[in-house]
Amino acid sequence: MKKITLLLVLFLSLVSCIEISDDLTMHNDGSGTLRYKVNLSASKVKVNSILALDSLDGKKVPSIQDISAKVGEFAKILDAQSGISNVLIEENYTDFILKFSCDFTSIMSLQAGLANAIEAVSKDKLGPEADEIWITWDGNKLKRSIPAFARAKVKAFKSNDLELLRDGSYTSITRFDRPIEKFDNTLGTLSKSKTAVMIKSSAYSIKENQDLLENTIYLISTKN
Amino acid sequence: MKNALIYSFALFSSTLLFGQKSELFIPKDAVTVFSINNINLLQKISMDDLVKYEFMEEVHQELFDGSTSGKTLKDAGIDFDQRLNLFYGKTYQNEISGFTFGVKNKAQLFEVFDDFQKLDMKFPGVEMYGTFFNNLIIKGNTAILIRIEPTMDYIDQMTDSLWYARGNEMPYELFDVEENVIDEEEILNEEEFTNDQPVEQASYPDATENPNIKNYYELRDSVQSVLQERELERLMNELFVNEVNLYSQDLRFAGQMSHEAIGTFYLDNSRNFEKSQGLWYFQTVLPSLYKDIQELYTGNVILGDLILKENKVEFHVEANYGKELGSIYKEMNDSKFDKHVLKYIPQSSTGYFTYNVNLRQAYEQAYKVIMPVLSDEKNAQISMNVLTIELLNEFVNKDALFGTYKGSMFGTFNGIKKIKTKKIEFFYDEETFEYGEREAEAEEDMPIFTVGFSIDRSDIPEKVMKHMSRLTSKFKNCGDYWKFDNAILDAAPMYFISRNGLFILTNDEDLAVNHSDGYGKEAISRKECKAAEKSGFMYGHIDIEETLNRFPTGVLNPRQEEILNSLKGKSGQFELNSSKTTSEQTKFNLQYSFEGEETTGKHLLDLINSIYVVTTFNP
Repeated sequence: MKKITLLLVLFLSLVSCIEISDDLTMHNDGSGTLRYKVNLSASKVKVNSILALDSLDGKKVPSIQDISAKVGEFAKILDAQSGISNVLIEENYTDFILKFSCDFTSIMSLQAGLANAIEAVSKDKLGPEADEIWITWDGNKLKRSIPAFARAKVKAFKSNDLELLRDGSYTSITRFDRPIEKFDNTLGTLSKSKTAVMIKSSAYSIKENQDLLENTIYLISTKN
Repeated sequence: MKNALIYSFALFSSTLLFGQKSELFIPKDAVTVFSINNINLLQKISMDDLVKYEFMEEVHQELFDGSTSGKTLKDAGIDFDQRLNLFYGKTYQNEISGFTFGVKNKAQLFEVFDDFQKLDMKFPGVEMYGTFFNNLIIKGNTAILIRIEPTMDYIDQMTDSLWYARGNEMPYELFDVEENVIDEEEILNEEEFTNDQPVEQASYPDATENPNIKNYYELRDSVQSVLQERELERLMNELFVNEVNLYSQDLRFAGQMSHEAIGTFYLDNSRNFEKSQGLWYFQTVLPSLYKDIQELYTGNVILGDLILKENKVEFHVEANYGKELGSIYKEMNDSKFDKHVLKYIPQSSTGYFTYNVNLRQAYEQAYKVIMPVLSDEKNAQISMNVLTIELLNEFVNKDALFGTYKGSMFGTFNGIKKIKTKKIEFFYDEETFEYGEREAEAEEDMPIFTVGFSIDRSDIPEKVMKHMSRLTSKFKNCGDYWKFDNAILDAAPMYFISRNGLFILTNDEDLAVNHSDGYGKEAISRKECKAAEKSGFMYGHIDIEETLNRFPTGVLNPRQEEILNSLKGKSGQFELNSSKTTSEQTKFNLQYSFEGEETTGKHLLDLINSIYVVTTFNP
């Protein structure tokens, strides 16, 4: 995972266009599905040229086999976590698209499972960040933000790298079984069915304002 | 003979005029020497300015340690009225490297070289100092700092000889029970090497119980130390008793030292060949063939001068060779310039080269020169190879082969351009936000290059491309050109143009689509064409400023970008010319010219410094 993180940081700092999407589905019983996609196809010339190097900025550039092995290890460890099932990874190293999805029984299982899996493959302790609650759900209200370990990575970008993120985009979708009453984030758009909220932003804006994706979503109460 | 007389006179007169000189301390085994004429250099740039450069920090770090921090080269007691000569040489037995220089103030010198201990060696008038690796030898006002390292092969050979003569068994544990050699990879992959145990612990044998008996590695260390000492003594005798040095032994080097250049360069390729360890098989198994090949290489010496002129830096290089090798080069470079290449070089090109050779003539001459040498050899394997070559020479259609690849070529670099690629785009249904994917056009930065070859048989690559198009739909005939989709980095297309006696490969869509017959008025100017035509077999041109302007600064960090921007205002042009090749030599002239009011020396050092900072900066 350390290698993947390094590679991701290298890619993010060098590619001019990256598309990230997270899609969280929450069921009424607190279970759900998380889908996460990273798309580097608009920068595949650059990604291929980086992969052709032995090292960059004094750091070793991992091979596709290295990356794939680590991704596989991550999926295996996550799948073994309590409350997590159906971990699926789709790797496309022609267009450089990575898709990940998993089912969870509760939002707490998801957060703990992800923290454990990241810690296991990176061999670095996450420390207090591992216990951080970045999504809460009480049956009627969902509050989500960017987890601290991801915030730290984004903060690590140097100022000139950020210029390159301007063309990148981040899409965050949250779906529910029943209609949404209201949500806090002014960048959010409600779907016609009123069961999903989408926030779209540039990757650069997220670095500049890490609260940009923070959202509290209120659902119409089941009692009504 | 005439040259020998001139060199002898130069050697004699310069010795009379200047007395002891640092170049007289260069060992005769030095194969490569770069000599800096400090007197000339310091007239062009002051020492105060020189020590301020960032690249000098590295020199200072190398020379000075904590006890001498804050000192610069100025305070090192070096006599800048003598040349500074850097040398390197390698024989089968030893590798030598170091530099010779003048000494002005010994006390100051030893403030810098403060870890050198005086050694007890009896050579009249010579003081000798040493550290674990290096030796500093001073005679009068000249010094040599030298590192002598016996080669690993030689140390192993001597150690093995002593080890087995003492009745010892194989020292390595690299054999398994059945005495099969275990592959090194296998050993490293074994678990004991992958656990936390340090590798050193596992790979070195334990010390013997009797402290007076050395194990293999201890014996090897002793052998290394003795060989080092012995070689140092031999070198001392050679330099200070017999007064044998490169200057006295090689008239070409002595002649080179008489040049009024800022820097001079010497590389004796013929000795590189002699000392090449890779040729030990020839030396031992086929000595007569080795001798014949060695003769071919005789006189193969490269000499160079670095000259600073007003707004110009010139590097003159002379590649000398023996008569027989020279006859091959002469035939190879005796080629009519292919004017068609010039129309494919656009005015906007930031760098281009032309290379004009006749491979057919070179082949015929090489066949004439080399085949008799090989045919005389009474060795079954060589005889079979000679027969194979002779049969190929008879059966292969040389007209078709050399008509397809004549040898002449050109290349251009047209900076970074946006090229069209395909990307996968995520999209979301407006009503449900359900996700989908679609293919879309994208643009990415890519360096644009073109390489073209002169060709008489354009029908042959045409045949290959036709068949390729049957094999894959990525290969398409587009009329004036062929297109191979996703050929570069699995993302960008490559174009092939076969016209005007040229076969061109490029990733420049504009060239393929709009200029398959050449750039016409948009091609390089007549003056530039003439410069390329007039040059011998090779010509090159780089516009540094344009290259820097087109450099994608997005990949640089702020400090690198700052330096790159500072360079933009003071960059010039590189031009490489070659002379007509004779059977003795080819001359090359690399010229860097710039516009501006600063001195050439300062401009050059600024440039070197900027390159140093850009390449070494680590955020």
